[in-house]
Amino acid sequence: MKENAASRVVFILLLFLNASLLNGQSPPGKPKLIKCRSPGKETFTCWWEPGEDGGLPTNYTLTYHKEGETLIHECPDYITGGPNSCYFSKKHTSIWKMYVITVNAINQMGINSSDPLYVDVTYIVEPEPPANLTLELKHPEDRKPYLWIKWFPPTLTDVKSGWFMIQYEIRLKPETATDWETHFAAKQTQLKIFSLYPGQKYIVQVRCKPDHGYWSEWSPESSIQIPNDFPVKDTTVWIFVAVLSAVICLIMVWAVAFKGYSMVTCILPPVPGPKIKGFDIHLLEKGKSEELLRALESQDFPPTSDCEDLLMEFIEVDDSEDQQLMPRPSKEHMEQGMKPVRLDADSDSGRGSCDSPSLLSEKCDEPQAHPSKFHTPEGPEKLENPETNLTCLQAPQSTNREGKLPYFHANGPKSSTWPFPQPPSLYNPRYSYHNIADMCELALGMAGTTATLLDQTDQHALKPSKTIEAGGEGKAAKQRESEGCSSKPDQDTAWPLPQDKTPLISAKPLEYVEIHKVSQDGVLALFPKQNEKVGASETSKEYSKVSRVTDSNILVLLPDPQVQNLTLLEEPAKKAPPALPNPAEAALAVSPTTPGNCRLQLGWGLGPAGFMHLQ
Amino acid sequence: MKHTFYTFLKAFTGSRLLLLLVVSNLLLCQGVVSTPVCPNGAGNCQVSLRDLFDRAVMVSHYIHNLSSEMFNEFDKRYAQGKGFITMALNSCHTSSLPTPEDKEQAQQTHHEVLMSLILGLLRSWNDPLYHLVTEVRGMKGAPDAILSRAIEIEEENKRLLEGMEMIFGQVLPGAKETEPYPVWSGLPSLQTNDEDARYSAFYNLLHCLRRDSSKIDTYLKLLNCRIIYNNNC
Repeated sequence: MKENAASRVVFILLLFLNASLLNGQSPPGKPKLIKCRSPGKETFTCWWEPGEDGGLPTNYTLTYHKEGETLIHECPDYITGGPNSCYFSKKHTSIWKMYVITVNAINQMGINSSDPLYVDVTYIVEPEPPANLTLELKHPEDRKPYLWIKWFPPTLTDVKSGWFMIQYEIRLKPETATDWETHFAAKQTQLKIFSLYPGQKYIVQVRCKPDHGYWSEWSPESSIQIPNDFPVKDTTVWIFVAVLSAVICLIMVWAVAFKGYSMVTCILPPVPGPKIKGFDIHLLEKGKSEELLRALESQDFPPTSDCEDLLMEFIEVDDSEDQQLMPRPSKEHMEQGMKPVRLDADSDSGRGSCDSPSLLSEKCDEPQAHPSKFHTPEGPEKLENPETNLTCLQAPQSTNREGKLPYFHANGPKSSTWPFPQPPSLYNPRYSYHNIADMCELALGMAGTTATLLDQTDQHALKPSKTIEAGGEGKAAKQRESEGCSSKPDQDTAWPLPQDKTPLISAKPLEYVEIHKVSQDGVLALFPKQNEKVGASETSKEYSKVSRVTDSNILVLLPDPQVQNLTLLEEPAKKAPPALPNPAEAALAVSPTTPGNCRLQLGWGLGPAGFMHLQ
Repeated sequence: MKHTFYTFLKAFTGSRLLLLLVVSNLLLCQGVVSTPVCPNGAGNCQVSLRDLFDRAVMVSHYIHNLSSEMFNEFDKRYAQGKGFITMALNSCHTSSLPTPEDKEQAQQTHHEVLMSLILGLLRSWNDPLYHLVTEVRGMKGAPDAILSRAIEIEEENKRLLEGMEMIFGQVLPGAKETEPYPVWSGLPSLQTNDEDARYSAFYNLLHCLRRDSSKIDTYLKLLNCRIIYNNNC
């Protein structure tokens, strides 16, 4: 019985529950406060979002209490703000006080309260949009026409007393456009727009923002039609453009007038010849492809680019830092003056192989009384060496001119290039060229002749293995002109000092010669360098016989088999190895382009390779 | 010997005094306004009240902006979901000052009272701002946004106080302005070891700073429109 009663009660309860569930009735869902906003810092409104109503009619109430008070109030006005809102009038609004607001949902089944919202009216200010937006087209007589936009501050904001401070923003666009053009108008209530397209219908909107708060919504659109005859030419822009282009034209004319040539060369630089080592234009011209290819083969390929650049740029001089290259007084002769080169005491200055055996061919220069003096050759100069068998050769005009001047390596512990013009005081007797000068002297029987092998005008350093004379198949090197030994007063030549450090030069078939001595009768004693061994070879071959002169003004020398084992000058010989840790290639003369310049040309070739062709 | 020594000392001190005078003059000249302060009712006063008010309004606006940003930054970083706001009610040390709470009250308040209130608020914040900077610096991982703003606010607060004193001197010459101001005593809670309690203390301080800077800003703008523009801003 009891069990029956209990089960019955349970059954009824379940039935009841089921019934209610089937009806869908439940306590209301939790409401949620969305936001509160104050339009003028004097009143504010709060809105909430109701939850599920649980199937029953649900009432919502809003309760709050202020900071520092315990009394709980209910919302004074549920209507003014619309559905699900609460409006707090001036009487009920306090600034700088926190409101703790809660919304309660009540229905038959129960009550559900939202999470409290903490609100300080100071920080929820969002004004209404500005009111009474008016547009007007104005055509003042002597000024440009414009669109005059006016508006009023939004309602509910007390600007006059300073309680509320507003900033405005305008945006407008032609009706058909997509992007708005926005203008910030600060605190003013009018704006003038000048740049308008005629014949278009413009739409304008305005909005505002308190000094601390949120931006308002955009006001309703106002539109205005711009008449077709609205003058819109903005000549100022065109005037500015015209003036600017005139200025630019003037500058260009001036630049062309004064620097025409250099500009032209800058814009259209002269086409350089092929810089392929061992590649000889003349071979190509003659059509001797076999020799050309052979010459090419013997070279290290491809040449290192940095070497070329360096060689083209300047000539280094080894040794002390204070040795400066100073151009001769008559520097103006130089066409494109060689840049004075700082003596580079560091053989590993990064120029690598360029520093090492590089042969400078130089123009004939004035012989100096001081044997150790070396001067850059001045402009067009002639080398004359009447007392020797050497002749000054005109360098063939060829595009290989752009080849590099071989560097002169000063002696000393490191290899470096020749000094460019240097004052006598800076001369370092350690330089190997000194020895050559001595030899020159001996050879020419002149004292104090110095030779410089610099070809300054050319500004090119020819790599030792730059080109291969086409005709030098296995012939001896060309005879080197020891123009430096000439007694011509205005010419100095220095012996190019062969040094070999460059890997550019292949061992075969090119061989390089180092000048050992100059014999009494002006014969150069050269000894070939087999490879990069330091030191003089045992045997030296004397190349004093000119076999022929090639088309490109190169003397081809033949070794003189009868004169062997010439005694080398001890001093230069001794000096040479320490001075030239890496014996350089045979010096090559660089021939400047200008006619009349002497060029030292030295080619050395043993075997089928032929010789270098210096240009 | 002694005589010469004394004369030398006198001369030296005399020149030193002169130097001191010169230097102090130079320093004094570098004020908020480079023009001399108007003595009461002086005719050729260089600084106009309008300029003073303009400047003061600018500075107070700036301080309130910085305070709001600093508070938002701190809230975002350290106070999310912690319910610090509940503890921040009634936590401001300046709540003892009788400040008007809405526009009507403010408009009915005489500008002497308003200006005294502003001065009291500014003075009462000197000390807390100083400690705020020190403690924020020591806070681990204190973001630069908060620290830099705290430093800036401290400086600007001093500047505004000077300006307000000048304005007070011009608008109400002769009135006494030595009202006592509320003293802040929240330093121990800023230095407590309990991290949550410390962050709560910071939250309160920044919350109160934001509110008080808003009050100062609003009152100044009210006074500006009332005195300079005759309620016709």
